[in-house]
Amino acid sequence: MKVTAQPSADALLLLLDGELDASSAVLLDTEFNKPDLLDYRKVLVDCAKLSYISSAGLGVFISHLQRLQDNNVKLVFFNMQEKVFNVFEILGLDSLMTIVPTQAEALAA
Amino acid sequence: MRQRLPFYSLVLAGISWGLLLLGALGRVQALPQLAGWPRWGIILAQASFVFFIFLNQRAQPNPLQGYHFVGLLRQLVRGPGLLAGFALGLGLIERAFSASGAPVGGPALLAVVYTVNLGLFVAFLARTNYAWRSLILFKSPLRLQREWVFFEVLLGSMLMLQLLNWHPPAIVNTVVFTSLALFGAYLGTNQKWVAYLTRPQKWQAVIYEVLLLLGLLVFVQYFRATQFDPLLLAPEPQGAFLVLTAFFAAFYSAMGLLVTFFNLPTAQVQEQRRTEILNIQRLTQIIQRGQSQVEIYQTLLATTADTVQADIAWLDVPADGPAAATEYYFNVDKEATSHLRSLIAYAGLGDESFVDNNLAAKVELAQVGARYRSLAVLPLHSVQHRYGTLYVLKHIPYGFDPEDVSVLRSFADQTVLSLENLTLATIALHNQRTQEELKIASEVQDSLIPKKLPTDDWFEISTHSLAAKEVGGDFYDFLLLPGRRLAVLIGDVSGKGITAAFHMAQMKGIFHALMQGNPLAKNERDRFPLPSRFMMQANTALAHCLERSSFITSSLYIIDYEQGGFMFARAGHCHTLYYHALREEVFYFQSTGLGLGIIRNDSYEKHINNQFYDYGPGDVMVIYTDGIVEARGAGQEEYGEDRLQQRLEECYYQDADAIKRFILNDLNGFTTGQPIHDDQTLLVIKFKAIQPEPTA
Repeated sequence: MKVTAQPSADALLLLLDGELDASSAVLLDTEFNKPDLLDYRKVLVDCAKLSYISSAGLGVFISHLQRLQDNNVKLVFFNMQEKVFNVFEILGLDSLMTIVPTQAEALAA
Repeated sequence: MRQRLPFYSLVLAGISWGLLLLGALGRVQALPQLAGWPRWGIILAQASFVFFIFLNQRAQPNPLQGYHFVGLLRQLVRGPGLLAGFALGLGLIERAFSASGAPVGGPALLAVVYTVNLGLFVAFLARTNYAWRSLILFKSPLRLQREWVFFEVLLGSMLMLQLLNWHPPAIVNTVVFTSLALFGAYLGTNQKWVAYLTRPQKWQAVIYEVLLLLGLLVFVQYFRATQFDPLLLAPEPQGAFLVLTAFFAAFYSAMGLLVTFFNLPTAQVQEQRRTEILNIQRLTQIIQRGQSQVEIYQTLLATTADTVQADIAWLDVPADGPAAATEYYFNVDKEATSHLRSLIAYAGLGDESFVDNNLAAKVELAQVGARYRSLAVLPLHSVQHRYGTLYVLKHIPYGFDPEDVSVLRSFADQTVLSLENLTLATIALHNQRTQEELKIASEVQDSLIPKKLPTDDWFEISTHSLAAKEVGGDFYDFLLLPGRRLAVLIGDVSGKGITAAFHMAQMKGIFHALMQGNPLAKNERDRFPLPSRFMMQANTALAHCLERSSFITSSLYIIDYEQGGFMFARAGHCHTLYYHALREEVFYFQSTGLGLGIIRNDSYEKHINNQFYDYGPGDVMVIYTDGIVEARGAGQEEYGEDRLQQRLEECYYQDADAIKRFILNDLNGFTTGQPIHDDQTLLVIKFKAIQPEPTA
């Protein structure tokens, strides 16, 4: 699992590459715990190369969801593989989080 | 025969000696009727006596017991040494008699004493020679053992030669004699045993060897004196054999004496090396006995100080976690070292190993050098851990030679090894306890899973559950409600192991609490919460105790036989697989619903809802956790919902238990050789094909 952060003016782009499981969740959590995260208007998560997500991986997004909402930071997922989207959907997260097909839509959201 | 050899040879030696005595008496006319004995008869008797005595000694068990060299020498002095004294006494008495001209004296007495002394001398030589054999052959190579046998054969043939009464030319005699003597001298240089004596033992050995040489001297003197006695016409005893063996016995004693004597000055060094080896062994044994850290440190300090003969020494062990810093002292106390400590610390020593043999010449340590001239500082550390520092001081300069330093190092290494072993042993013990506690947790959790499945004549249930670790986060439960209703709960706590297991137990508690029924309800139907209501209440209950990144997925079904339908709510849990008998179709229920613990306020209500479905006879429900569909095959691919659906299409007509086994068989075939990543739970509920008449 590789997490790459690309900051821009008002959005932080996070590129996830590989399987997000219990061990790599720690890595992503560190990224979310950085204090400057709340300075952005949006956090865009590129899931194009995310091949698997475990419940621990989901736990990272779930645990930060409330804090981001409280600070008016929008969490947007895009380029999500069907398999991964299925996991979000089963858990009912698609009704809570913004999941869009492309980066353009993510920027517009 | 071999065991009896000493006995027979002794008897034969006795007979030979008797004959020799008679012959000797005959020669001196004491027994005139024997005067005509031929000379060769006497020589034969003498030779066979010698032969059998030597044979007898040769057949005795090895006189050397283990490493008791001094004991061997002592026995030699006490036995044959006393014989020599006896011989000397006899000789003196006989002289006294001859001088006084007593009637019992004269040639007859001389002959008897002579023969007795000859016997004693031969016995003495035999004992001594075979004692020397066991010393020479101590830890000897095979080559040396062969050489010894060769030496014996050569000596034996000298004895035979004497019998032949053959007198070779003097030059041949000299050459043979000298070469044998040289051979004996060469064998005599094998004095390996001396190295194994301690200093006091060496002194004892020297004394015993001197006494033995004296004994030999007594005999030789006696025979030299009697040889020319005009009264005695006995055959000369100085057969080449006896001379050679006497020479060998004397040479070996003399060699041993010299070697031992010159080894005395080095005895201390050798002993010190032996102490070092023993001390290393002591340290090693402590590991095996699994003693405490304190004991290991104490042993290190005591053995080190003892081995390198330190004047003072101390060991500093820094604080480590809960353990406070400790100090250990040898021959000194804390107060006395405080000044030295500060001086040494000021010089910046303590972190690395340091040895100085002439402190007085060192500016920064000159003050230490005023009293102690040699200092060794030795930190004890492994790759990751620093255990302490050892300080050893001596008054004398050049107190630590390179060997002392290497001994110090090996002690330090051994100590570190002991300490690490101790730590490992402690950890292992702790792990074992944890394992046992986990086992108990596993048993407790197992008791939370219903063993007795509900039964009725309108459905059948089969279940399966398998935890990835000792305890898991999957759960399921059933309750038969009044009015022929069945509540089925399934769930999966995110994460695995102990924390998941706690929340699983909590869910079970919530399920039983809420399904107790509300006694204030107006009618029977309202007594139990609807599945969506149950999920909302569970979500509220969990909000306070579930850690922020954890959540629970769950589904609750309330199946109503009277109505022929069921109601369910899915809180983020896997979709239910369903076989519809009338339509002959297998499909997943498509429903929405958010997992528990994701939203922790009342707005959760908006994310959960109830669904209703009418079931028919022969319908099958397959309820499971994601451990089933996310199980991985050899190529890391997931088992998947599609494959599960296909399997049910193939086996829906069987009973619940057979369906479960069919699916599990396929799953196990798919995951063969792969570790279980997640807990697996599978419930199969089949509505019986022939539904009984409703009673109500």
